[in-house]
Amino acid sequence: MDNIKILGIETSCDETAASIVQDGKEILANIINSQIPIHQQFGGVVPEVASRKHIESIAFVVAEAFKEANLEYADIDAVAVTNRPGLIGALLVGLSFAKAFAYALDKPLIAVNHLYGHIYANFLEYEDIKFPAVCLVVSGGHTSLLLMEDATSYEVIGATLDDAAGEAFDKVARFMGLGYPGGPLVQKAAETGQAGLVTLPRVYLDRDDFNFSFSGLKTATMNLWKKLERQGSQNVNDMAAEFQTALVEVLVAKTIKAANKYQVDNILLAGGVAANSKLRDLMAEEARANKLKLYYPSLKLCTDNAAMIAGVAYHDFVNGRFAPLNLNAYPSQMSLLKRPVDIVDNSVDK
Amino acid sequence: MLILAIDGATPSAGVALLDENKIYYEEISNFKKTHSQNLMPMIDRALTTGDYTVRDLTAIAVTIGPGSFTGLRIALGTVKGLSLATNIPVVAVSTLDTLAFNLNFNHNLVAVLLDARRNEVYTAFYDASGIYPVPISDELAISPEDFVSLAHQLMVKNNYTRIILLGDGFYPYADFFRKSFNDKLLNIPTHLILPRPTALGNLAIERVKAHSYSDIFSLSPTYLRLSEAEYKLKQGEI
Ligand SMILES: [Zn+2]
Repeated sequence: MDNIKILGIETSCDETAASIVQDGKEILANIINSQIPIHQQFGGVVPEVASRKHIESIAFVVAEAFKEANLEYADIDAVAVTNRPGLIGALLVGLSFAKAFAYALDKPLIAVNHLYGHIYANFLEYEDIKFPAVCLVVSGGHTSLLLMEDATSYEVIGATLDDAAGEAFDKVARFMGLGYPGGPLVQKAAETGQAGLVTLPRVYLDRDDFNFSFSGLKTATMNLWKKLERQGSQNVNDMAAEFQTALVEVLVAKTIKAANKYQVDNILLAGGVAANSKLRDLMAEEARANKLKLYYPSLKLCTDNAAMIAGVAYHDFVNGRFAPLNLNAYPSQMSLLKRPVDIVDNSVDK
Repeated sequence: MLILAIDGATPSAGVALLDENKIYYEEISNFKKTHSQNLMPMIDRALTTGDYTVRDLTAIAVTIGPGSFTGLRIALGTVKGLSLATNIPVVAVSTLDTLAFNLNFNHNLVAVLLDARRNEVYTAFYDASGIYPVPISDELAISPEDFVSLAHQLMVKNNYTRIILLGDGFYPYADFFRKSFNDKLLNIPTHLILPRPTALGNLAIERVKAHSYSDIFSLSPTYLRLSEAEYKLKQGEI
């Protein structure tokens, strides 16, 4: 199917975003209204505040997307919306708007798993990705290693057993007084610091499986920080550098090991933490050394956006996987292996 | 004229289709199901039962608050989606005004109470002696105790001997209100206690005639309360 234009809507956390993507690859508009400055004063994302901002800006953001794409509302073929996982109150704003917008235009509705979107960000930018591939999904709510058979089917081969990588960044940044959001601030501090001057553990590096644990690293960082503070010898930049390196080395080592074990030639990064330059650089270095091809989305498509939602929805559109009008939102991630049955409805019946 | 009225402000969800002469459709669901699952199918039934589409509407009316934060945003998100897609204008009406309109030509003090949790109610007092309810207080978020003392003051000041309480804010504190108002409290049937989407639609008619519409880009619910985090920030606790 050609020239299929899908409006994507994304409100799962602290970005109100709308995008129009053609045929699952050509981005015609990508509008992101970030709430980061608002949440900074609270030291983290406040769900109720996020929901209030979403309902204020949703209509504007969607209207802007059509302006940028120079399209009429009726020119789109479907509306795709993130309905899981995320902050429930935030998800419900985008979902309610998307359902009504699709209904009023008499267009089908497509429900999208946010994490499928993050993975798909790679396919918006690269057309030559070969399968099978190993994909490392790292975000504020998620850390998984996936074995991909094609662009939309995956097997989970490893996951974090406690905190997500992005969550560890946020918690450690807040603890050391760096502020929010943790990822970019730790990265910035690390640039002027040096890893190795203090020592933190590489958790699970010695294990043969592909699971992760970041809670231990977070606690170790906090304990060491408190100890150094008592001695008056703490240096936030060196600590940030060591923390970031300790976390990234495990991510990289496990990903490369998985690629070798499953004999794939391609590695993908996805999710907000894939924007981390240390992760990108070290992964690129190791991929080169192991003769693997590495893909990661550009910075703008790593963090939350609606282009990835509209993009991945193209495949649902082609396969007639539409959602009913009583579609609900869900805070938690269900299995990445299977698409949830309640979003599958082969009729365009509303 | 054709008005679609949508209410998701309280645990009940309601949709109605009407004009200035006639009610065509009304549906209220008060089960413990989320408005997210209920509202769109209800809107679809209201329109398709009469062979209408969204484009046939003159305006869309919505209860803008106070009420459940999430419920208000589901209803308003829905209304913004319908309106942006079709350019059908929106009339936003207070949830408390809508509930008060369940009573007319009534010479008792009328109070609307919504459950605001955290030991508070959203409330306003009304003179319902005419066809339209006239508010005689601000919209407030206050404790049941403060509500009772304010009610007593208003009753003395305005010579009311009896009071009627509307809305789901009555139930969590029913015993306390019964004790506090005693035989001054009038019991009314349950069908008057819920917000009626037809009352919402009727309240919107004058505004539609006057072309007094809300801007959907800036429209936001009436919360009456800061979020917990904003409150703490203001108190200097963050
Ligand atoms: Zn995300």
